[in-house]
Amino acid sequence: MDSVLRVEGLEKLYGDVKAVRGLSFDVAPGEVLGLVGPNGAGKTSTLRCLAGILPPSAGSVHVAGHDLGRTPVQAKRELAFLPDEPRFFEYLTVWEHLNFTARLYGVEDWEARGRALLEEMELSGKEKSLPGELSRGMKQKLSIACGFLHSPKLILLDEPLTGLDPIGIRRMKASLRRRAEEGAALVLSSHLLPLVEELCHRLLVIAGGRAVALGSLAEIRARLSGPEAEAASLEELFVRITSASEDAAPPATGTRPP
Amino acid sequence: MSLPRAVLFLWGASFRNRLLRQLARLRKPRYLLGALVGLAYVVTVLSRGLNLRAVGGSGVPQGARLFAELSLVGSALGTVFAAWALGRDRPSLSFTESEVVQLFPAPVTRRALLHYKLVRGLLGATVGALFATLFVGRVVSGAPVLFFVGASLALGTLYLHSTAASFVRTRLAAWGGWGVALRWAGVALAVTGAALAVLSSLREHPFPEEVGSSRELRQWLESVMETPGLSAVLWPGRVLVGPALARDVDGFLRALPPVLGLLAAHYVWVLLAEVPFEETAVVRAETRSRERALRASGHAARVGKLSPRKPPFRLSARGRPEVALIWKNLIARKRLAGGAGMFLLFVVMGGALAAMMGDARLFTDTRRVVGPLALTLAVLLTVAGPSAFRMDLRMDLPKLDLLRAMPLTGRQVVGAELAASALSVGGFQLVLLAVALVLGPGAEAERLGEWWWPGGLALAVLLPSVSLAGLFVQNAAVVLLPAWVPADTGERTRGLEAMGQRLLTLVGSMVVTLAGLFPAAVLAMLVGWPLASVLGAWALPVAALVAAGVLVGEVWLGVMALGRAFERLDVSEDRQE
Repeated sequence: MDSVLRVEGLEKLYGDVKAVRGLSFDVAPGEVLGLVGPNGAGKTSTLRCLAGILPPSAGSVHVAGHDLGRTPVQAKRELAFLPDEPRFFEYLTVWEHLNFTARLYGVEDWEARGRALLEEMELSGKEKSLPGELSRGMKQKLSIACGFLHSPKLILLDEPLTGLDPIGIRRMKASLRRRAEEGAALVLSSHLLPLVEELCHRLLVIAGGRAVALGSLAEIRARLSGPEAEAASLEELFVRITSASEDAAPPATGTRPP
Repeated sequence: MSLPRAVLFLWGASFRNRLLRQLARLRKPRYLLGALVGLAYVVTVLSRGLNLRAVGGSGVPQGARLFAELSLVGSALGTVFAAWALGRDRPSLSFTESEVVQLFPAPVTRRALLHYKLVRGLLGATVGALFATLFVGRVVSGAPVLFFVGASLALGTLYLHSTAASFVRTRLAAWGGWGVALRWAGVALAVTGAALAVLSSLREHPFPEEVGSSRELRQWLESVMETPGLSAVLWPGRVLVGPALARDVDGFLRALPPVLGLLAAHYVWVLLAEVPFEETAVVRAETRSRERALRASGHAARVGKLSPRKPPFRLSARGRPEVALIWKNLIARKRLAGGAGMFLLFVVMGGALAAMMGDARLFTDTRRVVGPLALTLAVLLTVAGPSAFRMDLRMDLPKLDLLRAMPLTGRQVVGAELAASALSVGGFQLVLLAVALVLGPGAEAERLGEWWWPGGLALAVLLPSVSLAGLFVQNAAVVLLPAWVPADTGERTRGLEAMGQRLLTLVGSMVVTLAGLFPAAVLAMLVGWPLASVLGAWALPVAALVAAGVLVGEVWLGVMALGRAFERLDVSEDRQE
C-alpha cells in the first residue's frame, strides 16, 4: 500500500545550525512511528516541518500523495498536528473551536462528530467553556478533539500525554490505537519510552538532527552487537544508540528555537 | 553570602547582562539606527525637560505653580485615601514568581525580605521621580534637580504609607467585623472632616459670581486654600511636596526636615505593623504570571474574564474556509471589545466634557451638535481605527504556528485576517455617517446645502477604503518587518533602540499610507474635475468611488504579495531575536 507520509532528505537550518539533517522515511496507513531522541535532537523541528509550520531548508515531504511544498493546502487537509503545548484562541469556546475547525476542513457532519469526540475525551458539558477555564489536561484533550474532527490520514503528535491523568492516558492510548486501526498513520514524538514501546510499530531514533536508527524494536536490537543487546530494554537501547551517535558526531550546537 | 550582597550581585549581574545584550544587538544595522533615533529623542526630551537656564524659579508662572501644588497635593492625599479605602485587606507587597521561587525558600528572615522589597519600592519611586522631572519638571519647578530629590522623597514616603496601611488593614481584617468597622469609621471621619473643612472654606470665600481673568480665579483659590480648615486638610500634602516645589536651595533645605521626619516615621511604622505576607505574595505572583502567559499567547487586549457572547453569525461547515477566520476575529471583537470599548469611551468622554463645560446645546440642538460630532468621529476613525481595531494579523501572529498549520493559502489567511478589522472599522464609520447625515444640519443648511448628500455619500465610499489601506499597512508591517514591528504579545521590548524603532516604524507607516493615497487622490482629481462642470456637487461621490477603487485595488495587490510573504515567513527565525 502507498505510504501516507513520505519524507526524503529533509533538512532544517536555523542560521548556521543544522537542526535536521537529511531525514528520509515512510509511514504506511495504520502504522505508528515513534520519534525518539535526546533533548535538542531535532524531534520538534522535524514534526513542525512535517506539519507545514516550518518551511524545510531542503528535501521533500509528501502527505497522502500531496507534496507539502507544492500543494500545501491539499497536504494540510490530510493531516493533524497536535503540539506538546496546546494553543487556542482564548475568546472561542470549546464548541466554537470545533465549529471553526469544521469550516476550515469542510466537515459537514461536524456536530455529531464533535459530540462523539467530546464524549470520548470526557469534555461533555464543557461546550461553552473558554480555554482559560480548562485544566492543562482538558486543553490537551480539546486539542486532540479538534485534530481528530476531520478524520486526518496523518496524525503528528508531540508529547501527546503531557498533562493527562492516568485514566486520561489509558483512554488516549486506546484512542490512538483505534485511529491507527482505522487506517490513519501516526508519528508520535515522546520521551516516555514505555509509551513508545507499547504503541509504535517502528521507531526512528534521531540525535544531532540525524537518523541514527530506524526500524522495529526487534530490528534495532538485531543491528546492535553485544551479548546484552537481545534482552536490552528500549531505554538501554536508547542510551546506547544516542551515546554512540554523540561519540561519532558532535550534535549541532546553538540554541534551539522554542 | 548575605541577602543584601546576593541581591546586589543579582541586580548588578542583571543590569550588566542586559546592557551587554543590548550592545550586542547594536551590531545589527536596524538596532543601531533605532538606538540613534531613540537617543536623539531622549536628548531632545532631556534638554527640554531640564532646561538648566531656568534654574532660579523665575521661569515658572505663578498660575502654573499653584496648579502644580494643587495637583501634587491632591495626588498625595488621593494616594493616602486609596491606601485606606480601596483594594483588598491584604499586604500590598508583590513579588515576581522568580523572586518567590528563589527568595522565599532561601535561608533569610521575613524582615530581610521586607527590606528587600522596601528598597525595590524606593528605587521605583526614584525612577518615577526621574520621569516626572523629565516630563513635567520644567513646567512646575524652576530647579529640576531639587524637584527630582523632593519628588523622590515624597513618592518614597507615599510608598511606605501604602505598605504600612495595607499591613494595618490586614491586621484589622483579622479582627473580623469590628476591625473592618473600625477602619471604615476612621475613613468616614477623615472624609467628613475634609468635606466640612471644604464647605466652611467655601462659605467663607464663595466662588466669585464673575471671573474676569485667570488672575482673579487664582486669587480666589489662594484665599480658599489659606483658610484654617482647608489649610489643615492640605497640610500633610503640602509638607510632602514642599521640597519638590522649593524655588531655591534655601527653600529646599527649610522644607526638607519635616519630609525626612515623615519618611523615617513611616519606615518605623512599616516595621512595627509588619504582618505575614508570603501567602498573598505567592497568589499575586501566580496571577501575574498567568496574565503574562495570556498576553504572550497573543491575548493582549484583555486578560480579565471573558463572557462568551453570541457569535456574529452562524458558521456553517460549507463554503470558503477562510470565512472561519473572519468569523473568529469578529467574535474576538465582540468579546475582547478593545476597539469598541475605546470608541464608546471616546463618545462618553466627549459628551461628559461638553456637559461639564456647560454646553447645553449637546442635549437640545442635536442637528448642530450630534451630526457634526458623529461626522468628526467617522473621520477620526480613519486615522485612529487602524490602530484601535486590531483583530487581525497583529492579534494572531503570536499564534503563527496555529495559522500555518491551517489548510489555507497565505493569501487566504492575510485577506481574511484583514477583513474582520476592515468590516468593523468600516461598519462603525458607516453608522456614524448615517447618524451625521440624518441628524446633521441637512440640505437646508446655509453654505453646506447642495454638498450635504453628495459629500456624505462620497465619505461613505471613501472613509472605509482609506481605513482599509491603513489597516493593510499596519498588517504588512508585522509580516514584513517582524523584528521592527512586533505583534501584540503584550510584552513590549524595552530599551533605547526599541523606542527608536517604534518611532521609525510610526513615521514609516505614515509615509507608506500617504504614498498609497497619492495615486488614488490623483486619479480622483482627474476624473472628478471635468465631471464637476457637468454633475456639479454629484461629481464628488463619483471621484470618491474612483479613489476608493484605486485604494481597494492597491490593497488587493498588496494582499497577494503579502500572502506570499506570509507563506515564506519562518516562525523559528522570527522568534530567535
